[in-house]
Amino acid sequence: MFSSSIRELLCLRQLYRAIISGQRCKAQVGLRTYCRPAPLLTASPTRALIDELITVEGCFLTPNSPITVRARMHSEDGDLWESLAYYYTDGRGTVNLNRDSSIGGSYVGCEPMGLFWSLQAAPGEREGLRLRKRDVETPYLVDLSVLQGHISSCDGAGGQGMRAEQEVAAVKVERWYMSPGVRRVEIRQNGVVGTLFMPPGPGPFPGVLDLWGMGGGLVEYRSALFASHGLASFALAYFDHKDIPGPAKRVNVKDSYFKTAFEILQNHPQICSDRVAVVGLSFGVYLTLKIATQLSVNPSCIICINGPLGSFNKSFNENGVSGTFDEHQEYWSYDEHNNVSFREMSSPKNIPPENFVKIENLNCPLLYILGEDDLSCAAVENADEIEKRLRAVGKSHLFNCVSYPGAGHLIEPPYTPNARASLWTTRPTKLITLWGGNLAQHAVAQEDSWKRILGFLDLYLRQSD
Amino acid sequence: MAGDGCCPLLSVTPTRCLVDEKFEVLVQGLCPGSQVTLHALTQTEDGDYWDAFGHYVSDATGSVKVSEHCSVGGSYEGIEPMGLLWSMKPVPGSRTGLRFRKKDVSIPIEVHISVYKGHMTEGFKEQTPLASVVAERWYIAPGIQRISITEKGIKGTLFLPPGPGPFPAVFDLWGGAGGLVEYRSALLASRGYVCLTLKYVGLVKDGKEHNVGNDYFEAAYTVLQEHPKVCPDKIAVMGLSFGVSVTLGMTVYSPVIQPACLVCVSGSHVMPVNGCLADVFAAIKKNVRNTRYDEEQRIIWRDLLLPIPDDPSKKVEVGRIKCPVMLIVGEDDQNWPATESAEDMKQMMEKAGNSHLLTILSYPKTGHLIEPPYSPHCRASNFVMAESKSKVVALWGGETVPHCLAQEDSWQKTLAFLKKHLYSDTSMCKL
Repeated sequence: MFSSSIRELLCLRQLYRAIISGQRCKAQVGLRTYCRPAPLLTASPTRALIDELITVEGCFLTPNSPITVRARMHSEDGDLWESLAYYYTDGRGTVNLNRDSSIGGSYVGCEPMGLFWSLQAAPGEREGLRLRKRDVETPYLVDLSVLQGHISSCDGAGGQGMRAEQEVAAVKVERWYMSPGVRRVEIRQNGVVGTLFMPPGPGPFPGVLDLWGMGGGLVEYRSALFASHGLASFALAYFDHKDIPGPAKRVNVKDSYFKTAFEILQNHPQICSDRVAVVGLSFGVYLTLKIATQLSVNPSCIICINGPLGSFNKSFNENGVSGTFDEHQEYWSYDEHNNVSFREMSSPKNIPPENFVKIENLNCPLLYILGEDDLSCAAVENADEIEKRLRAVGKSHLFNCVSYPGAGHLIEPPYTPNARASLWTTRPTKLITLWGGNLAQHAVAQEDSWKRILGFLDLYLRQSD
Repeated sequence: MAGDGCCPLLSVTPTRCLVDEKFEVLVQGLCPGSQVTLHALTQTEDGDYWDAFGHYVSDATGSVKVSEHCSVGGSYEGIEPMGLLWSMKPVPGSRTGLRFRKKDVSIPIEVHISVYKGHMTEGFKEQTPLASVVAERWYIAPGIQRISITEKGIKGTLFLPPGPGPFPAVFDLWGGAGGLVEYRSALLASRGYVCLTLKYVGLVKDGKEHNVGNDYFEAAYTVLQEHPKVCPDKIAVMGLSFGVSVTLGMTVYSPVIQPACLVCVSGSHVMPVNGCLADVFAAIKKNVRNTRYDEEQRIIWRDLLLPIPDDPSKKVEVGRIKCPVMLIVGEDDQNWPATESAEDMKQMMEKAGNSHLLTILSYPKTGHLIEPPYSPHCRASNFVMAESKSKVVALWGGETVPHCLAQEDSWQKTLAFLKKHLYSDTSMCKL
């Protein structure tokens, strides 16, 4: 390395020798500072699907030193979500989240995707938040950083805890629910309200009818992901949607609504009519079971995530009157913070026998995904009841169940944070509902169940004849 | 498990990545032993279509895995994970003399990958594929800032990685085709470098095209040096073709441009000592009678700087270089005498005692346009002469397979070289 004085001498000598288009060149002296570049933080890929693994690595860090790796992002509502984990760099000054173990923070152990599934609303943000993507055509933009030392998130307001100068390197990643080429098609047809996601290409594709729970509205992100895996997927609204007429807080659609939705899939020119599955979560399970057994349609297979075999609502009979979700509050229970659990509402022992789906009529394979810490639905009891009834009619071979210790109600696509509780309503008063699930165990359930779900759909939609 | 061929599944993983990253193309659910064609199609910003294809036979599980299975025909053969990209050529019926170059780095290259029944060689547009997906290939990572530079009379673009920095930097110089070429800088910025790419050919002053003086390059280099997020002593200069003349000349003769290392692709040190751009053009013009043509009337310009002169005043004194230099040359370069120049530079540096700084990557059957990996190979393309504005077809050279191998290998080695000399060199920490 040259000291600045020798460099100055060289500059002057070269100055005299230079003949530059009639102009003298300017020697930039005195600007020489010896500068160590910042460490490098890399993520690969930098644009990933939600269920794709991202490798996060840092290098040129101080060897054998404490560092914090942090993820930060804003939800569509503008809330700040954050996760952080404590590592030690190795002897070469590197950290690799596929190889190294976090010793504290939002997660511990070797967790390649821990930064993503352990995201929590930052201190000072609103209460009872749940991270859900509404617009699936844009990605989440996540800022990953590495900071010196083991830093905890701030205690004060406004997220000012970590001083900006402690950050030594950063990288940004995009996380998508939709692959390029997937088409999002709004469906308002024959009274049915939903969004159809078509994979790229000519098709025909297998189809999926995608049902969510009594949170209502129209939840698109799981369907967008299914389409990114080559399945035409129809996210269906049936409750609390502005395009479905009827009184609020009531389920205003009948059985025929779901049959029509299923047939929309079957009749679509780019969908194989004999390769349509139904996937349901929470109350969507009850609907899924009904579709598979009582509506004279024949799905190739069904997937049920943490949902009931029966319902208090008689809302889906052709001539029945729809009930509201707020009835039967005698089965609601409260914890010490006044958070409500709806679990007992779906316990088989509490539901009138005539309100059970006729599961005995099932003719296709069923995969039941079960979170053992589900505080919103009596999933364990319902799975047992389904198995019992199928066994009684010699149909055990149709029943497949995967049970996850420590997982809660909201078993969603992987590498997204679990909400153990979240805001349910603000009317008449603010009510937070319990979903259950311990963060790390729930993350395991999401990762594993998603693979099983895709595998199950592949098996019965592509491979059978 | 094998499929019944009814709903085959085609997947590309990842569907979005940087242009120098590999992807996995997988077909599943075919009947075992079926003949299929994998086809890739993209439309450039100019509206031209380029495509590539490979012929495969599905295995016992009804799958085709491009990274592991053998293409038995098509625009590439053998086990070629990225063959669907680098073997692309303009589709039949296209305009002639095309070159694959991305202008707007803020949008990705969209590649439509399809699987067709049977072993097809043409008519892809008319045939419905069994399945089709879309892959995006990006020159720029999320969070990289693109900044237009117009200060000090410069015309350039700066790419800035996210984070507090400071970062090492690359001064990126392209060739005589001119324009403001951003894609390599965007890619290098995505790998952790502040990059400045410069337009220096075809600039207009007072309504007239003029050749910039050396102060133009020094001003641009200073913009990098003085940038608050750049380590001023960790700047590399990377030049291609004409850009090499600038790189070598400025490094040796300019007191302002003192890089930490150099990467010189497909260029030469033959230029008048202490000269400027105008001098290089003049030297080339003097030898214009050495222009040759191939059997298709494509211009071969490599002889314009040959023979390599013995007169030291006609070559950059590379013996005076004080930083590591990597020369990347294609042995079939028909545009510049890169191989001969590299050999001569080696001799000069050996004589001067600084050859320990020199690395030469020499690639057989490789042409002039050594671009980022998986880019299609261009053996010849349309070229607009700088002064006369006449249109010719320049022969660049190279054969597709070895040339594309050279692109992949030289890029990996370039990144490793830059990392070694800009990131991991332990310099004294003194601010």
